[in-house]
Amino acid sequence: MRGLRGKDSRRYLRSVVAVGEIQDIKSIIEEEIETLRRRNREPEWMTKLRYKGLRAFLEAPHNDPILKDPLDFVVKGSEEVYPEIKSLEDLPPEMRALLERLGIAEVERKYVAGLAVQSDTSIVLNEFLQAWRRRGLIVESMEDAVRKYPLIKDLFMQLFNPYESKLAAYHTAVWNGGIFLHVKSGLKVPMPLHLFFLIQNSAMAQAPHIIINAEANSEIHLIEGCTAPILLRHSLHLDMTEAYIGEGAKIKLSVLQNWPEYVHTRPMTRARIGKNAEFINTTVGLGTGKSNIANPKYWVDEGAYVELNGIILGQRDFYVDLGGEMYLEGRGARGINASKSVIMDKSTVITRGIIRANAPGTKGHISCDALILNDSAKMETYPGLISQVDDAELSHEAAIGKIREEELFYLMSRGLKEEEATQLIVKGFVEPLLKDIPLEFVVEIKKIIEMAVSGGM
Amino acid sequence: MDPRLRVVDVNVRVEDKEILKNFNIEIGKGEFHIVMGPNGSGKSTLALAIMGHPKYQVTRGNIEFEGRVINSIPPDERARMGIFMAFQHPEEIEGVKIMDYLTILLEKVRGMEKSEAKKLILKRAKEVWFTEDMLSRYINVGFSGGERKRFEILQALLLEPKLLILDEPDSGVDVDSLSLISLKMRELHNKGISILLITHYGRILQHIDKRIVNVHIMKDGTIVLSGKEDLVERIEREGFKKVFEECGCGG
Repeated sequence: MRGLRGKDSRRYLRSVVAVGEIQDIKSIIEEEIETLRRRNREPEWMTKLRYKGLRAFLEAPHNDPILKDPLDFVVKGSEEVYPEIKSLEDLPPEMRALLERLGIAEVERKYVAGLAVQSDTSIVLNEFLQAWRRRGLIVESMEDAVRKYPLIKDLFMQLFNPYESKLAAYHTAVWNGGIFLHVKSGLKVPMPLHLFFLIQNSAMAQAPHIIINAEANSEIHLIEGCTAPILLRHSLHLDMTEAYIGEGAKIKLSVLQNWPEYVHTRPMTRARIGKNAEFINTTVGLGTGKSNIANPKYWVDEGAYVELNGIILGQRDFYVDLGGEMYLEGRGARGINASKSVIMDKSTVITRGIIRANAPGTKGHISCDALILNDSAKMETYPGLISQVDDAELSHEAAIGKIREEELFYLMSRGLKEEEATQLIVKGFVEPLLKDIPLEFVVEIKKIIEMAVSGGM
Repeated sequence: MDPRLRVVDVNVRVEDKEILKNFNIEIGKGEFHIVMGPNGSGKSTLALAIMGHPKYQVTRGNIEFEGRVINSIPPDERARMGIFMAFQHPEEIEGVKIMDYLTILLEKVRGMEKSEAKKLILKRAKEVWFTEDMLSRYINVGFSGGERKRFEILQALLLEPKLLILDEPDSGVDVDSLSLISLKMRELHNKGISILLITHYGRILQHIDKRIVNVHIMKDGTIVLSGKEDLVERIEREGFKKVFEECGCGG
């Protein structure tokens, strides 16, 4: 069935004809589950879980404001398939150029940092990572991890319920690809670990599952690049991340999204943050796809701290709806939800952060800033602060507006063109939230913002 | 030869209010002009109109720079022609580091190489007491009064305009900064730069050769009295009210 077409063809196209009936949908998903089961040589519990996902898919509510027909995305789409990738040298030239452009190769050369490029069944690891593996850092493809580590059974789908939505159910049934990251108790990894998703040789929807299991007092910074390395032309990307942060651990998760504009993305992220632990989750959405709806949830234990930073670039007709719910469960738990959006063209950005204070002495703050570059761009914000206790400190602030004329005039009066001045102001606007992103990425992020601003003017 | 700046019979409107009325001034190459006047007489409006602030509409007459009418030329182009205005209240720009900003300025406006630009910035910054550390601060954010005004001077030193307009460079400034600004103003003037200085006090002239200055007094949007340096002293001694009474101008 799979073969290369023509001598220089490194990819071929496969398309599936849409069918509308439930029975067909059921059998299509069943077939996908069976394929995955066989391919991955999965333990029985996983196959059972997938079938639970299938049952849930048929029953669960569907409440997505953009994807009206849940049956649509199951079978839609054609794909491009690349041959198997064993090392970075096997990457298609455009992919290598992209990694180069993103400064990944540069980062690696300079700091010998961890770079793991993930394809759907294997991980390309460099020497750095192999050395750390011996000290208790596990970076494994989810397929391998499910087979190798019994621990996964206690972590997989513990923070989600397939019955909560059709998308969660569908992910449960057909998840493929993804990463298992395990940091041993007390292990501190000083370099950021870069992870790039390359999904290939898969007829499935793009639905990687990521589990971060950071044991007590461990430290790591994980950078997930969902940048253009998207080889499949599926219309929907459904990734799910579950993070378990142990007592006293300090974990940073930075997600760089640069989705092509024809996809709908539904990243689902949830984290349980243990006592006195710290979790800093920064999402930079440069290309957020045609629609991007995310509602991460965080459960924060005693004395723990969680920070959700979001930078969103709304362009063209993008629709971005960013939630973020924090449950301050233990005494003294703290949470910050900060977003900065730059919105242009006909795009819409909505933020709805919610902080629930369920324990005494907790503190929460939501801030939402947006720069609107033209009249047809739209921003809405709905902060939610819910306190069950007397002595919680909850606050929010929002500032939505255009670039101030006085600021623009100041820079233009020094000789900068309107476009140059606007770029400078926009880059400055997002700067404070980029504090945890390595410089090489910041440089690239700023370049992308510059281009977007020019294009929007 | 055309003068650097010629403002001819100009009216300027801000929102619905006519602020400058029938205003005239001519500033030649290397000349030093001082504009004084009570609050609300239109001094800042003059500066902003010359620089091209979009809210300050020239409704009558012409503003000419080196013989070219610039009434409808955008501010960035005016800057590149050689006009520079040091703001009375410089804007804060969050998230933009001074070093990055000044480098871009020198690259885009003066066409300098990045490394060359950085070298020049470090050298000039030191002259106005900005340490290397301070260059990673955001533009004017958390600056003291003196720092703000010295930062304006720094930009003028880097861009070396043909016409330097200084809108109250002496307000809200400590004595040491004031002396430094006066010195730097002289240095720029000695390079042949024409100066239009808006001020309330003669102190800013401490390092300036007073014989060269031309002084204009504004009232209600127009110049009512012109003279030499002794006019500054007279105003400091007697106040605007008395001077206006004596000259019978703008009564």
